[in-house]
Amino acid sequence: MKHDPQDKLDRLHKQSMKGQIGRRDFLKFLGIAGPASGLALALPSVAASAPAGLSEDEMVILSHLPDQQIGKKYPKGETINVGFLCALSGPDAGWGLPGLTGNNIWVDAVNKTGGLLVGGKRYPLKLHAFDDEANAAKALQGARQLVLEHDVKFISAIGGDAANSTAPFLTKHKVIYASLVPTDCHPDKPYVVAGGDITPQCNMFNALMAKMVLPSEKELGRPLKYALTTQDDIMSRQVGAWEIGAAIAMGFDIVYEEFFSVETTDFAPVVSALMATNPDVISLCEAWPEYQTMMWEQLFLQGYKGVVVQNYADWETNLTKIPAKYAAARQAIDSFPLMDDPWWGETSWQKSFTDVWNQRYGPGAPEDVKRRMTGIDWDHMIWLIPWSIGAQVAGKDAPGKWPSNDAILAALRKLPSFPTILGPGHMSGKEMFGIDNMIEEPVPMCMFNLEAKDKRIIAHLNFEPWYASIKNVVLKAVKKRGQYWTQR
Amino acid sequence: MTSQLLIQTIANAVAASSMYALIAVGLTLAFGVMQMANLAHAHVFMIGAYTVYALYALGGWPFWGAVAAALVVGAIVGLAIERTIFRPLRGDVVAGFIATAGLMFVIEVFCGEVWGWGHMRTIPSPYMRPFKIMGASVAFQRVLVIPFAVVCIGGLMIFMRRFRLGRALRAVAQDPETASLQGININMMTALALAIAGALAGIAGGLMSTIYAVTPALGGHLILPALIVVIVGGMGSVGGVVLASIIMGFVMTFVTTLVDGVTALMVSVAVMALLLPIRPQGLLGRVTN
Repeated sequence: MKHDPQDKLDRLHKQSMKGQIGRRDFLKFLGIAGPASGLALALPSVAASAPAGLSEDEMVILSHLPDQQIGKKYPKGETINVGFLCALSGPDAGWGLPGLTGNNIWVDAVNKTGGLLVGGKRYPLKLHAFDDEANAAKALQGARQLVLEHDVKFISAIGGDAANSTAPFLTKHKVIYASLVPTDCHPDKPYVVAGGDITPQCNMFNALMAKMVLPSEKELGRPLKYALTTQDDIMSRQVGAWEIGAAIAMGFDIVYEEFFSVETTDFAPVVSALMATNPDVISLCEAWPEYQTMMWEQLFLQGYKGVVVQNYADWETNLTKIPAKYAAARQAIDSFPLMDDPWWGETSWQKSFTDVWNQRYGPGAPEDVKRRMTGIDWDHMIWLIPWSIGAQVAGKDAPGKWPSNDAILAALRKLPSFPTILGPGHMSGKEMFGIDNMIEEPVPMCMFNLEAKDKRIIAHLNFEPWYASIKNVVLKAVKKRGQYWTQR
Repeated sequence: MTSQLLIQTIANAVAASSMYALIAVGLTLAFGVMQMANLAHAHVFMIGAYTVYALYALGGWPFWGAVAAALVVGAIVGLAIERTIFRPLRGDVVAGFIATAGLMFVIEVFCGEVWGWGHMRTIPSPYMRPFKIMGASVAFQRVLVIPFAVVCIGGLMIFMRRFRLGRALRAVAQDPETASLQGININMMTALALAIAGALAGIAGGLMSTIYAVTPALGGHLILPALIVVIVGGMGSVGGVVLASIIMGFVMTFVTTLVDGVTALMVSVAVMALLLPIRPQGLLGRVTN
């Protein structure tokens, strides 16, 4: 079978025609045209002469800012400190450590222009990192250090247990905590923002995509079966509830929904238990990168033949354990696109970011990280940029001083749309999480491509219209699992 | 539980038991001779795994050559631990405990700084295929651990019973003072015990480097189950380790399959907690004064 993104889309359309889902609905979900959403913005704020050391690609990256006035001189403001509070070691580090690269690229690009232009002053940015080892107590220790010693205004983080443990302290100090996962958003945590990596929306779309690629219940003569497993932590429990809700809304029978200990080192029995339910779809949900690699290996060895979906797939690692043909046959779906995916286009913001990353962190580069760029490299930066945009917008109302985080969030909420690396976004979340602290942006859905031996974007979906059509079923499932924001 | 799942779970449990046994046997040997627990034993296992990563995954060595190198590296690290920690602290159990606990962090930071934190190190599977038996499907790499465990543990038991040096090791384990009066060189015996323990940990780590996620946290993950196996089996008893590994392998695998991994860990600790009041010396351990 040829695995080409366009072929795949065509096939999805054909399958949608078979009645699993209405074609009109499916086309509606594919709201954003792919390459167009990745195209670089025009550069209205770039002056004729760029500062020395600032590359063209970095200028493209900075084009996200509405008022940077590159090349023009402004008075210098004080240094604005930002924090990075993630697992830099341990099994969760795959979702933390790489994020430093994207944040460094953004901070350094801003600083090459003299600093972030806010209210008529240029404020240099400085990044401070703390390794919380995915431990809530250490995260609080890190938050205290970042705020009290370094006076950070903004913290990039993974979220989950750490979002809860740090929230009272960060709320008191009005410091923004940017989680990767919107399920951390809650009215009791007004400075926790999220939405960078569109979780749990992407997990929910996994159920839709699985439905698309499978034969219909009518063809099979039985209901389709959905099994989910991931590590046992707050984030996974919450995201898992939303994904299960979507799977139920898509008509799946839920045959397995179990969480394994984060101490698990042997995944053979975990996968045996999953496969014993004969699922059509296995979701690895929020499984940490190294866990999903181990589970992929077991799925291959134990002969699983259905579809596999997950939040994030690292094929460079997975393919050392399983053949590419097996991954392709499982129609492996995830939603962390590669920034060098041809889908974005040759002249795109994403391509520029890839080039800057490779020049700095790629093979033979000055800070060679001895791996290729992953989805996590840009994932944390995705909130640092809107925060910078919000600061510029809020700064217009109070020239000469750095705006408060309340003003920044208020400014972002007023914007009908602002650019993100995944496409145009806006603040949302009140209905799902009780507060508009989530960025809602297009959700790129990827599938493993045999020819590329890697994932490729096959659709770029709008979440809100789809969610509106299934929310009653989803909310019932989420509430049944005690994971709705009013229950937490 | 269907018959298919039962066979698959038994196959998983046999492989898991072999893995536990291969990791824990060196730990119990060192304890038997030194009367001190080497908390850094699983970290020597981790060094074996990183040796294979460095030589096989990065250096292009043949897999088995890298595993053999892991054995040598493990033995050298074991000797170094004996010379720098156990020999100066002989007889001081608490100091040895604290020193090897500190060594855990030293090795963890060393591996992290040399080979990187964060992502697991990618070690390609040399045998990317399943081994099928009676409908069950087990990774070929896991199946390989079974004969390795039999050969290593069987060889160690024969060495301890049939060879002069092995009998000397047992004599030191039973009564170091009397053994010394019989002309047995205690320093040489403790060095031999730690070298063998290190070699076993090194080869186990090398062999299983493609099964486990190789990160600096690997040693920390494995020391708890290894200690449970050694305590349940009886500190210093190789036979006890084999028996305890089988029990733990089956308990962990069956409970994980039928319930979940969190419950499995709780049940295995509960087994230990229930056993110790009845047999404080473990299943096959000796009662000592």
